[in-house]
Amino acid sequence: MKKIITTLAASVLATTIATSSIAADRYPERDITNVVVWSAGGGTDVVNRMISAEMAKSLDVNINVTNRPGGVAGSLGMSYVKRQKADGYTLVGLSESVVGSAVQGGWDQKMSVWYPFIVGGSPDLISVSADSKYTTLQELIADVKKNPRSIKASAGGAGSIHHLNLLALMNGTGAEFNYIPYPGSAPAQTAVMTGEVELVITSLAEQQQLIKGGKLKPLAMLVADDQALDGFGTIPSAFKAFPELQKYLPIMQAIGLAVSQDVPDNVKAKLTKAFQSAMGSPVIHKWAKDNFYVLSGLSGAEASKEFAFLESLFSWTLNDLGAAKVSPSTLGIPKLSELK
Amino acid sequence: MDILASFSVFGSTLLSLLSSPTNLMILMGASFFGIIFGALPGLTATLGVALLTTLTYGMDVNTALIALLGLYVGAIYGGSYPSILINIPGTAAAAATALDGFPLAQKGEGGRALGLTTTASLIGTLLGILVLVIAAPLVAQMALQFTSFEFFLLALFGILISGTLTSPDLVIKGWIAGLIGLGLSTIGRDPLQFFPRFTFDMPDLDQGLEVVPVLIGAFGIPQVIKALRNRESLGVMKQFGRILPEWKTLFKNRMNIARSSMIGIGIGAVPGIGEDIAGWVSYGAAKNTSKHPETFGKGEPQGIIASETANNACIGGALIPLLTLGIPGSPPAAMLLGALMLHGITPGPMIVVESPNFLIEVTAILVLCSIAMWLNGMFLAKQVVKVLQIPASIFLPVVTLMCILGSYALGLNIFNLYLMVIVGVFAYFLDEMKYPISPLVIGVILGPMADESLRRALMVSEGDLMPFIERPICIALISIIVLIVMTKAPFYQQCKKSFFSLFKK
Repeated sequence: MKKIITTLAASVLATTIATSSIAADRYPERDITNVVVWSAGGGTDVVNRMISAEMAKSLDVNINVTNRPGGVAGSLGMSYVKRQKADGYTLVGLSESVVGSAVQGGWDQKMSVWYPFIVGGSPDLISVSADSKYTTLQELIADVKKNPRSIKASAGGAGSIHHLNLLALMNGTGAEFNYIPYPGSAPAQTAVMTGEVELVITSLAEQQQLIKGGKLKPLAMLVADDQALDGFGTIPSAFKAFPELQKYLPIMQAIGLAVSQDVPDNVKAKLTKAFQSAMGSPVIHKWAKDNFYVLSGLSGAEASKEFAFLESLFSWTLNDLGAAKVSPSTLGIPKLSELK
Repeated sequence: MDILASFSVFGSTLLSLLSSPTNLMILMGASFFGIIFGALPGLTATLGVALLTTLTYGMDVNTALIALLGLYVGAIYGGSYPSILINIPGTAAAAATALDGFPLAQKGEGGRALGLTTTASLIGTLLGILVLVIAAPLVAQMALQFTSFEFFLLALFGILISGTLTSPDLVIKGWIAGLIGLGLSTIGRDPLQFFPRFTFDMPDLDQGLEVVPVLIGAFGIPQVIKALRNRESLGVMKQFGRILPEWKTLFKNRMNIARSSMIGIGIGAVPGIGEDIAGWVSYGAAKNTSKHPETFGKGEPQGIIASETANNACIGGALIPLLTLGIPGSPPAAMLLGALMLHGITPGPMIVVESPNFLIEVTAILVLCSIAMWLNGMFLAKQVVKVLQIPASIFLPVVTLMCILGSYALGLNIFNLYLMVIVGVFAYFLDEMKYPISPLVIGVILGPMADESLRRALMVSEGDLMPFIERPICIALISIIVLIVMTKAPFYQQCKKSFFSLFKK
């Protein structure tokens, strides 16, 4: 009797393994769902809708994009996807801002639970109001060095990617600005236009209309490359005047999608192939150009490395700002120095 | 672009939209759902626009805008239904409407109140659109005069004015209720430095109190308890009243309508605040300029017209900074910004250059939406008045269920249900002691803005209070605030009396 049960159990087990590996081979057999952790219409949502549509072409099934915003830094959507079966039929659409979720008490997982694909992001830049006396970053930095904290700066919310860029700029140049926190990028940019603060750091995608409309004057890109902007000219990279910045920057947005690290390897491979062919599509390239996004195309281990970097940077900065509820060391998030 | 060309674009957009039956169906449908959204406690214009955004992904831009703006306009109007009929405002924007709408309904003139609301909302929306078209750059420039200092004073003003207007006996009770609301709004991590305030280590309190459960609890629960206690129905319907526009009443109120629209547009244009306080400010203005202010709060049509014109005029106002600067003027407009981005439109100063017809197209769509709202309203008002005939024993459980659903629907968080009940019971006792409830809710809504703006203003000025008396708009706001407080102080009344008695002798 015992033997029969063992045999039965073994055969059941074998069939399960067999079917699951066959299922993975046949992947995808049905529609895939992409759960975006931010609300509809945001940058992450728009990027995910496009890349999903392109990936669907080569996977030959639909990828339905839904939104599940809420919780702390996207924790609701991430925990939902993590609870689903790790079969590759549920993807999560995310961005760099979710990496702070764990230290802020949103959930108790590290970013290493994901197998990510990074589409790209819009580079950050520093701008002043159109009637400001400053025309170059050097003038601004020289002035604030004479009088530390005399110049007020805004950069989205405290602990946001733009705030991290401001902190990196201060570390790399030795300048000390008086940081004024705003609830988001739009109010931060408005504050420069109303004259409440002197400078703002947000992304090019968020500023381009205001620059072209003559409301903001860009001083420098916080990435290695100069940026051409129709109707304005070329915005120089801050790295030329301050080579020291290369140690701290760039800190780029990483918008993309991910599957659970537990999904079978051949499913990961199929998704990677679909992702890479989608990244080559003219639709994505045109959109990126029109909206001032820089494409990345990293996936798997390389993308994980990028997310580990962002996770360490965000988590420890939030910890220093007093915004962390859970210490990064409890979660096992290494410091940036330990990471390298 | 000259005016003639604008008109031809406007006309052709209207025609092309109207010629498509799908568009017409979507227009009427979105407007209808908007009204329902506004009317159900807990479902707000902001939530409605957010939910609909995802559904519009496959549509072309104009159709999507018809759906979204139709819902927005409908929802701002729909909030007035429960305000008038059962004294439970469906949205905070409609709270001022309840002051005179509900007494009218109790007198048996619910139909008339709804009719006035419908037409006033239409006029308000249209006037808002008019200003959007002709004076957008000017108004946008005005909106840029508001810095953290002004935002703080504006929030304070909003709380004070609702306190002043709603107190049944002593004005100070309204202000006390407002202060309680302000106090409640400080719960949670402070947005500037993340310090946890009054959270008692409860994770649910970390993000602060959600407005919707507070709104529903504070307005809904006391009303249900009172009706149960008195064993009476919520309203009566002696006569149906006239739903169709009363041109005579409206004509008499032409100054009121013009003033309320201007207030609504102005408040809508200031980024971050909108419909929620526009109704209060215009109601206050109407009461203070009225020849018979004592009738306000007892079923005065002027009051309804003022608040409903203003909150709908806010829509045009809120779209001005959105379309010209990319800054949303009100919470639903912020959702609309997301929807526009989804369709590849980035609103901002370049929109006039990159797609010169866009503003005119939006105007045409808004005009259609307000007409759809009016038609739907005329049809619905007749039907919804009948809820007053439903016996309380059936109606009250339904209202209670709606309150519970509304609190839970947002974020699906069970904590919000407890919050609603606690706030509701607390509000009931406040109500029994003749403390008004509206200032408390307005305090919770505007509190974070007041708190954050004041502290940010002081960060910017490095602790200096001088900007409060150096900036022109600040001076104006402070003068109004001081005036409001002074005129209600017993000391001032005493002075006034003795001053006048000097002349009598």
